Amino acid sequence: MTGGSWLCLLAPLGGTIVITLLGTRISRVVAAWIATMSVFVGFGGAVWAFVVMQSRQPDSRSEITTAWTWLQSGSFKVGLELLVDPLSVVMMLIVSGVGGLIVLYSIGYMEGDDEERRYFAYISFFVFSMLLLVEGGNLLMLLIGWGLVGLSSYLLIGFWHDRPSAVQAAKKAFVMNAFGDATMALAFFILIAHTNSLSFATDFNAHLSSTAANFVALGLLGGAVAKSAQIPLQTWLPDAMEGPTPVSALIHAATMVTAGVYLIARTHPLFEQARTIELLAAGTGALTLLVAGLIALVQTDIKKVIAYSTMSQIGYMFLGAGVGAYSSGMFHLMTHAFFKALLFMTAGLIIHAVSDEQDIRKLRGLGKLMPFTKWCFLAGALALVGIPPFSGFFSKDPIISSAAALGTWYGWIFFVCGVAGALLTGLYTFRLWFLVFPGEPSPFVREHYHDHNGREGAWTMLVPVGILAVLATFAGWLQWTPHWDPFTKWLAPVAPTLPAAIPTNTQEYYTSAVAVIAGLTGIGIAWAVYSRRSLAIPAAPFWRKLFENKFYFDWLYDRIFYEPAVATANFLRRDFEDPVILQTGPDLGEATLETGGLVRRLQTGLLRTYVLFIAAGAAAVVLAFLIAR
Amino acid sequence: MLGPGVAWYVAVAAVLFGIGSLGVLIRRNTLVVLLSLELMLNAGNLALIAFSRHFHNGAGQIFALAVMAIAASEVCVGLGLVVALNRRRLSLDVDRLSELRG
Repeated sequence: MTGGSWLCLLAPLGGTIVITLLGTRISRVVAAWIATMSVFVGFGGAVWAFVVMQSRQPDSRSEITTAWTWLQSGSFKVGLELLVDPLSVVMMLIVSGVGGLIVLYSIGYMEGDDEERRYFAYISFFVFSMLLLVEGGNLLMLLIGWGLVGLSSYLLIGFWHDRPSAVQAAKKAFVMNAFGDATMALAFFILIAHTNSLSFATDFNAHLSSTAANFVALGLLGGAVAKSAQIPLQTWLPDAMEGPTPVSALIHAATMVTAGVYLIARTHPLFEQARTIELLAAGTGALTLLVAGLIALVQTDIKKVIAYSTMSQIGYMFLGAGVGAYSSGMFHLMTHAFFKALLFMTAGLIIHAVSDEQDIRKLRGLGKLMPFTKWCFLAGALALVGIPPFSGFFSKDPIISSAAALGTWYGWIFFVCGVAGALLTGLYTFRLWFLVFPGEPSPFVREHYHDHNGREGAWTMLVPVGILAVLATFAGWLQWTPHWDPFTKWLAPVAPTLPAAIPTNTQEYYTSAVAVIAGLTGIGIAWAVYSRRSLAIPAAPFWRKLFENKFYFDWLYDRIFYEPAVATANFLRRDFEDPVILQTGPDLGEATLETGGLVRRLQTGLLRTYVLFIAAGAAAVVLAFLIAR
Repeated sequence: MLGPGVAWYVAVAAVLFGIGSLGVLIRRNTLVVLLSLELMLNAGNLALIAFSRHFHNGAGQIFALAVMAIAASEVCVGLGLVVALNRRRLSLDVDRLSELRG
C-alpha cells in the first residue's frame, strides 16, 4: 500500500527529471510520451494502493510511511512522510487518473509548439506537486506540496512567455496564491506554538483555545480560498485562462483549484473546533457560486465561461465541506474533475479546430462539423447542470440538501443560494451550448474550420475526451445518497459527515426535485433566449456592466493595492532613492578626497617636522600624566 | 650609599636627552643626526641604570643592555643608509631628502 503511494508520487517527478536532463537529445514526441507514461505509472501506483487498502478493515486503512526525519529543531521534528488513507487515495486516483488523460490530450494539443519539452516537464512536475500535496503525511509536507503547486501553475500559466498577458496572468496567480500560502504558514506557526508538532495526529487531537482555533482555521481558510479561487481571492482564475487549454483543464478544473476543498476535508478536526470559521467557508462558497454564475452569463470567451463555472462549482464544494458534509464535497470534487476536464478539453478541440478563436460570438453551428465534440460537450454540460442521470446530479444535490439539513437561518440561505446557483448553471452552460453548437455554421467557422486528417482532432485528444465523457455520464452512479453511499462510507474513517449535516431522505428528494427543476428552468430560459430568440435579453445596463466588470473586484484591488504600491514606489524612487541612496556614494567619495587634500599637507617629507611632532606628542603625554597625577 | 643622589643622575640624563633631541631637530648632517640619536638613547640608559641602582633592582641594567643592542643595530642600519646615499652621490643634508613630501 505504501509502495503504491511512493510509486505514485515519484513517477511524475522521475518523468520531469528525465525530460529535463535529456533536453534536446530526445524528440518532442518522446518527451510527451515520457510525461504521459510517468503520470500513468503514478496512476498505477494509486490503483495499487487503492486495491490493497480495499482489502483491509475500514479502521486500519490509514498508514503513515516515513522516509527519514527531515527537519529537527530541539524537540520539534518533521519527517519526510506520506500518508495513505481513504481520502488521500481518492485524491491520488483523481489527480493521476484525470491528470494522465490530460497529459495524453496535450500530446495532440501542443503538437507543433516550439517548446513542447519544457511544457511536458512542467506538467509532470505539476502532477508531482499535486500528489505531494494530497499525500503529504504532515502539515509541512502538505504546505510544501501547496507551494510547489503554486510554482508549477505559475510556470504553466506563463508557458507562452512571449505573450505579455500570459506573463501577467502568471504573476497574478502566483501573488494571490502566495497570499494564501502565507496565511496557511501563519496558521501552522500557531499550531507549532501550541502543540510543538505538525503531524496530523497530534494537531487534530489537540484542544486549542477558541481564539487559537479560530485563527488556525482562518489561516487555513485563507490558503484554501486563495488556491480555490473563492471570493475575495478569485480574480486570478479567469486570467489564468491565458495558459494552454490542457493546463486550464488540469489546473483550473480537475486538480489544483480543488485543493482548497481537500484541505478543508483533511483538516476538518481543526475547522470543527472553530465552527464559525467553517460556516464562513460555507458562506464564501455560497457567495462565490452565485457571483461566479452571474459573471459567467456575460462572458464571451469560451474558456472564461468554463472558468467561471469552475469557480461556481468549487463554491458548491466549499459549501458542502463548510456545512460538514465532507464526503459530499469530495464526491462533487471527483465528478467535477471529470466533467469540467471534459468541458475544457472539448473547448480545446474547438479552439484547435478553428484557428485558436475563443470568442463565442464568432463560433456558431459547430455541431454539424464536430458531432463527436458536440455530444461529449453535451454530456459534460448536462453533468454540470445536474440533470439525472448525469454525474453532477448525484454529487451536487447532496450538498444542497446538507445545507437544508442544517436547518438554521444560514442553512436556508445556503439552500437558496445552491438552488439559485443551479438555475444560473443551467442558464450559462446552455447559453454556451446554444450559441456554439446548434444551427448552421457561421461564415467565420466555415472559413477557419479545418479538421485533423478527416477527424475532429488527433486521436490522443479524442480518446481522453471520450473516456471522460463516459466518466462524466456514469461516475455519479457510484453514490446516490438516499439509497447507496459507498463513497461516504469509504471516507467515513477520515472525514465523517457531521451529524447536523446529514439530510433525511425526504430532504434529499425535495432538494433534488427543486434543484433539477431550477437547472431545467435555466436550460429553458437559455433555449428561449439564445435558440428560439422568443425572449429578449433584459437590458438592465447597470447589472450588465456590473457582471462584465466582474463585480469590480479587479478594479477595487487595483485601487487598494496596486496603485498605492506604484505611487509609493514612485515616491521613494524620486524622493528617496535619487537624493539619498544614489547621491550618497559620490558624496562620500568627494568628502574623502577633500579630507585627503587637507591631511596631505602634514606630510612635509622633512625629518625635523616629524621629530618635532613626536617630541611634542611625547611632551604632551608626559604633561598629561603629570597633571593627572 | 656613596655618591650623589638619584636626582642628579636623572638630571644629567635629562640634559643629555635634551641635547640629543635638539641635535636631531636642528642639525642637517645625517651623521650628526645619528650621533644625536645615540646620545638620546644613552640618556635613557643612564636613567635606567640610575633607577636600577636606586631601587636595587637588576632589571634596569638588563634593560640597558638590551637598549645598547638595539642602538648598535640602529647604528648599523643608519650608517648603512649614509653609505648608500654617499655611493649614489646624494646629498647628506636631511632637509634635501624630502622625496616623501605629500
